Amino acid sequence: MNFTLLLQELVIGITTGAIYALIALGYTMVYGIIELINFAHGDIFMIGTFICITIFDQFGITASSAPRGFSLIGLLLLALLGSMLICAVLGVVIERVAYRPLRNAPRLAPLISAIGVSLILEDVGKLWKGITIVSFPQIFPQITYYIGPVSFSSVDILVLVVALILMVGLQWMVSYTRTGRAMRAVAQDREAAALMGVNVNRIIAITFFIGAALAGAAALIWGLKYGNTNFTLGFTLGLFAFTAAVLGGIGNLVGAMLGGVLIGVIEALAALIPDSSATGGFGLPHGGAAWHEAIIFVVLILILVFRPSGLLGQQTPEKV
Amino acid sequence: MPTASMLLPTRDSRALLIKWIVGLLVPVMVFTFVWSGEAIINNVLLGLINPGSTALQGPVLIEAAIFIVVFYATVIALTGYLVAADSGRRRTIDLWIDIVVFTLVPLFLVINFGLVVGAALCAIIWPAYFFVRRRVRQARHYTPPPPLKNLEVSDAEQRAILMSRATTAGFWFAFAFAVVWLIVDLIYFFVGQLPTVLLIWVVIRTILLPIAGYFLGRLGGAVALRRTLAAKSNGSKSDGNVATNGDGRRVSKKRQLESLSTTRAREEAKDLVPNDLPLRSTGAQRFYLILIVAFVLFYPVLDPFLFGSGTAGRLAGYGDAGYYVILALGLNIVVGFAGLLDLGYVAFFAIGSYAWGIIGSTQLTNVLGQAPVNPHILSALFWPMLIVGALIAAFWGVLLGAPTLRLRGDYLAIVTLGFGEIVPIVFLELDKYSNGPNGIVGVQSPSFPGVDWSVITPVPYYYLILALIAFTIFANVRLRDSRLGRAWIAIREDEIAAASSGVNLVNTKLFAFGAGAFFSGIAGAYHAAKLGGVSPDNFSFGDSVIFLAMVVIGGIGSIPGVIVGALAVYAINQLLLAQLDSLATDPSNPLYAVHNAIVHFIPGFTFDNIRNLIFGIILVVIMIFRPEGLIPSARRRREFHAIEEDHEIEVGALDVVPGAPGFETEVRVE
Amino acid sequence: MSVEQPIEHTGEPLLKLNNVSKFFGGLAAVQNLDLEVKPREIISVIGPNGAGKTTVFNLITGIYSPTSGNIVLAGRSLAGLSPDKVLRRGIARTFQNIRLFNNMTVLENVLVGEHTQLKANVLGSLFHTPNVMHEEAEARQRAVELLSFFGTELVERQEEYVITLSYAQRRRVEVARALGSIPKLLLLDEPTAGMNEAETLEAVKYVRRLRDELGLTILLIEHKLAVTMGMSDRIYVLDYGRKIAEGLPEEVRRDEKVIAAYLGKPTAADQKAAE
Repeated sequence: MNFTLLLQELVIGITTGAIYALIALGYTMVYGIIELINFAHGDIFMIGTFICITIFDQFGITASSAPRGFSLIGLLLLALLGSMLICAVLGVVIERVAYRPLRNAPRLAPLISAIGVSLILEDVGKLWKGITIVSFPQIFPQITYYIGPVSFSSVDILVLVVALILMVGLQWMVSYTRTGRAMRAVAQDREAAALMGVNVNRIIAITFFIGAALAGAAALIWGLKYGNTNFTLGFTLGLFAFTAAVLGGIGNLVGAMLGGVLIGVIEALAALIPDSSATGGFGLPHGGAAWHEAIIFVVLILILVFRPSGLLGQQTPEKV
Repeated sequence: MPTASMLLPTRDSRALLIKWIVGLLVPVMVFTFVWSGEAIINNVLLGLINPGSTALQGPVLIEAAIFIVVFYATVIALTGYLVAADSGRRRTIDLWIDIVVFTLVPLFLVINFGLVVGAALCAIIWPAYFFVRRRVRQARHYTPPPPLKNLEVSDAEQRAILMSRATTAGFWFAFAFAVVWLIVDLIYFFVGQLPTVLLIWVVIRTILLPIAGYFLGRLGGAVALRRTLAAKSNGSKSDGNVATNGDGRRVSKKRQLESLSTTRAREEAKDLVPNDLPLRSTGAQRFYLILIVAFVLFYPVLDPFLFGSGTAGRLAGYGDAGYYVILALGLNIVVGFAGLLDLGYVAFFAIGSYAWGIIGSTQLTNVLGQAPVNPHILSALFWPMLIVGALIAAFWGVLLGAPTLRLRGDYLAIVTLGFGEIVPIVFLELDKYSNGPNGIVGVQSPSFPGVDWSVITPVPYYYLILALIAFTIFANVRLRDSRLGRAWIAIREDEIAAASSGVNLVNTKLFAFGAGAFFSGIAGAYHAAKLGGVSPDNFSFGDSVIFLAMVVIGGIGSIPGVIVGALAVYAINQLLLAQLDSLATDPSNPLYAVHNAIVHFIPGFTFDNIRNLIFGIILVVIMIFRPEGLIPSARRRREFHAIEEDHEIEVGALDVVPGAPGFETEVRVE
Repeated sequence: MSVEQPIEHTGEPLLKLNNVSKFFGGLAAVQNLDLEVKPREIISVIGPNGAGKTTVFNLITGIYSPTSGNIVLAGRSLAGLSPDKVLRRGIARTFQNIRLFNNMTVLENVLVGEHTQLKANVLGSLFHTPNVMHEEAEARQRAVELLSFFGTELVERQEEYVITLSYAQRRRVEVARALGSIPKLLLLDEPTAGMNEAETLEAVKYVRRLRDELGLTILLIEHKLAVTMGMSDRIYVLDYGRKIAEGLPEEVRRDEKVIAAYLGKPTAADQKAAE
C-alpha cells in the first residue's frame, strides 16, 4: 500500500468530510427535534450552490476575473451570507408549508411530504440551471501546499476553516444561549418544553433555519472546491450526509461532525480499492471508486443493523 | 307470465321509476348514439349478415357481440337493482346532477380529449364538484339522514314489493330505451344512413328489449333482495344474521348493526338494502365491476370504434401501465398491509427483470460460456421463468428485508432506500453477468401456440398483463383476509402487542417482504420481455419514489385504491405530460399560449420536464389534505382522521377520549 | 368480604421467578426477586409507582431479558424466548396502557389473539381450502364466545372498531384477546386502572370468574389496595425493584414495611408536629 496515496486520500477525505459534516448537522438537528428525516435537506444544499453561482453572476465574477485581497474576502462573505440566508429562509418556508400541518399525523405522512418537497426542489433546480453539469466559478486562489509528499490546496484550508468556525459557533450556541437550551429542551420532550413556556413552533422554525443555513454555507465551499454542481447533487450528497449523521448518532451534534469526517474518509479510501479485472480477483470490478456509493450505503446499513444509536448516541429502550 | 297489471307501476314507485329511468337512460343514450354503441352494434350485425363487409370478422366479431350483450344487459339489470334498493330518501335532483357529473361529463371529456387527458380533467373537476356541493349543502343546512336509521327487517310482503319494483323498472327502462332507439333508427333510415337490411333488426330489437328488460329487472331485484335484512330465522344452526353469546341468548344482526357507531354504521350501510345512496352500495358495485371487466377485457376490439386510429400505440401503452399496477399491488403488501416503509422497491423489480433478461436471451450463453440456445426454447421458458423469477425476487426480498427487522419506521425506509440504490449499482458493475451499462438486448418474448408476440401487435401482451393483474388482485385479496393478513395489520398497528399475542414478528415481516418482492418479480419478467431488453438505467431511486407515490396517492392498504393510483401515476408519468407537450405545439390550442408565456421566463420548460415537480406537489398536497389517498380503505380513513364526531363514550369513563393523542400517558391513578 | 371457599393450591408452582434481577445501565429496575404462582391462584403484585412491577411482567413475557436469575414456567425455562414464543408456552398478558389494534374491529382483535391456535398457511389461505375455511369459521365462533364472557354488549359491538369503545370496554376486549390463545397463565397489568367504583367491582368479578370458570391462573399488578385485598390469594409487595413483603392479604396489610413504602416514613418535621 502506497503510504503517500493513503495520506493523500485522507486529506481529501477530511476536507470533503467537513462539508458532509455541515450538511449532516442539518439532518441531525431536524431529526433530533421532530423525528423527521428531512429528505429535502440535500436539495436545499443544491439550491444553495445555484444561489452562489447566481450571486457571482450578478457581479460578473468568473474564475479569471476574480478580485483579490479584501474585495475577495468581501465577495466571499457576501456569497456566504447570501447563500446561508436564502437557504435558511427556504428551510423555514418548507417546514411551515409541508411539515408543520403534519406534525401530529402518523409518521409516514411527513416522510412522504419530505420526499415530495425533494422532488419539487430537484425540478426547480433542473428548470433553473438545466440538466447538464453547471460550472461554479472557483474564484478562491488555488495554491498548492506540501507537507512531505502530501499535497493540499488553499481551498482545502478555506473549507476546513469555514466548517470549523460554523461548527464551533453552533456548538457554542446550543450549549450556552437561551435559544440553544430551548432547542435541547424541545428535542428531549416537546410537551414539557411547551409547558415551560417555550414557543415550540418558533424553536422548530429556528432549528430549520440554522440547519438550512449550514447547508447554504456548505454549498459555497463545495462549489469553491469542486468547481461544479448539478441538480442531482443534493440527493446523493444528502444521503451521504444522512449516513454521516446516523453514524455519529442521530440527534447528536458532535456525532454529526465526527460522522461527516468519517464518511468523507471512507469515501476517499474506497478509491484505493483496486480494480478486480486488473488485479485478477482482488478488489472490485472497475475499482472501488465506481462502487463508492454502494460502499457508503453498506456502511449505513451496517450501522443501522448493529448499532442504530450510532457512535456517540445513547441506546434508549422503548418504554412498554 | 307477467300480466299487464303487474307491470304497471304503483303510485309510490312511480316517482322512483322516473327518477332512475330518466337518470340512467340519458348516459346510455349518449353512449349508444353519440359515442359508438350503435356503431359497434351495427357493425356486428353487418359482419354477421355479410361476412367481410365490415372490419369485424371472426373472433373479433364474437367478442364485440359479447361485449354489447353484456353491457346492455348489465345496465338494465342495474336499473332494476337501483330502483329496488333505493330508500327514496335522497332527492331526484341530487341524483340527476350526480349522474351528469359522473357519467356525462367524463364521457364528453374523453370523447373530446382522449382517455388520458379526459381522465385528468375529470380528476380535477370531481374534487371541485365535491367541494362545491359540500359548501352548497352547508349553506342550505342540509344534513344527510343518519345511516342505518330505522333499520327495517324485510318480511315477505316487503320483499315482494321490492321485487315487483325491480321488474317494473327493468321492463319500463328497456321499453323506453327501445322506443327511443326505434325513433332514432327511423330517422337514420329516412335520412339514408341506415342500411335497409338492418330494419329487421330494428323490429326484432324493439320487441325483444322490453321482454329482456323484465327478466333482467328480476335479476337486479334478486341482487337487491340478497342484501336485505331477513327476518330472524328459526333454525338452530348459526347463520350470518345471528350470533350467540355465552348465555345462549341470540344477538341478531339487526341489533349488532344498530349498536354500531356512526362512522362504522356508515360503512355497513353501504351493504344494505334499502339504501340511501344506492349508486354507491356494494350491490351496485357488483354491476360496475361487470361493466369494467367487460370493458377492459374487450377493449382491443372496442378501441377502433371509441377512439379511431392509433389502437396499437394505445394498447402498447396500456400494457405498460399494467405492470405498474402489479408493482403497486406488490408494494401495497409491504407498505400498506404490513406497514413497512420500503423506499427501495425498484431493487426487486430489477432482479425480476434481469432474471428473465439473462435467461431469456443470449446473455445466458455468454455467462455460461456455451453455444447459443435455440430462441424458441428460450421463449417457451418464459412461463416457468415468470414463477421462478418471482421466486428469486422473493428470496432476495427476504434477504434484503432481514437487516431491517428491528428498525423503526424511518430507519427502515432509509435502509431499504440504500438497497434500492445498491442493487442497480451491482447490476451496472457486474458486467460479466449483466453486460453492464449497455444492458441486455434481444430478450425473448414469450411463446404461446398460435399467438404472434412480435412488437407489431401489442394485443397478446395486453391480455397477458390482464391475466397477471387478475392473478395479483386475487392473491392480494386472499392474503389480506387471511390469518397472515391479520398478522400484518397487527404488526403495523402495534408490534409489541402483536408479538405478545403470538405473532412471530420476524417471519411475518419477512413474509411481507417476500410476498411484495414476488409480485415485482412477475412485473420485472413481463417488463423485460415486452421491452425486449434490460438496462441499468431503467432502475433508479426515482422509480422507487414513483412506486411509492402510486400506493400513497391511490390509498395505502387499499387494493382498488392502489390500482387507481398506479393508473393515475402512470398516466401522469408517461402519457399526460407528453400529450400536453404535443398539444402545446398546436397553435390553435390554448395551451400553446400558456406554454410560450412560461418559456419566456424559464427557458428549459416543457411539460415533460416538470414531471417531478408535479409529482412532488401532488405528494405534498395529498399528504396534507387527503393522506388516506384517493380510494382509501376504511381502516386508513379512520387512522388519518382521528375520531371526530362519535359520542359513544360512556359516563363512567375518563375525561380523555380513548384513542386521542396523549390519552395513554394519563393513566396514573391514586 | 373474604373468599367464600378457600381453594386448595397444592403442587408444583406454575410460574417461578428465581432471584431475577434486571438492570438498565446502572439503574436497578428489579433486584433479586423470588416469586411463585401456583396453578389456579390469583396472585397480586403491588407497590408504589416505579416499583418495577410492569418490568416484572415484561421480563416474564420476554420483552426484556433478565440480567441475572431465571424464570421457569411449568418446569421449563423461559430464558431467551421472544414474546410470541412465551405466548405459545401459555402466558398471555394485557398492558397497563391498553395496547389494542386500533384500526381493527373488536372481533378482529380477538382473532389476532387466536393467531397461535390457527394453522392456516399461505397456500391454504390463497386457495380457500376446506381446512382453512373451517378453521376460520371456528375461530370466529370462538371469538364471539370469548366476547360473550363479558355479557352481550361486546358481542353486539363485535364489528365496531375498538377505537370507538369506552375505556372499560376496551380493557375487556384486551382480556378477550389474551384469552384467545387459550393460555394457562394470564398476566393482567392494572386491570382496574382508570375505572370508577362500579367498573372496578365489575372488573374484580370477571377476574374471579376467569379463575373460577375458565380455570386460569392469574398474576396481576394492581394499584388499589382495597381491590387486591379482596381478590388475591397471595400478595407480593415490591418497592424500588425489591420484594419487601409477601403473604396472605391480612398479613401484608399489617406489614410495617408495606405501610411505610406506600405512605413514606414519617419525617422529622412530622414527628415534631405529632408531639
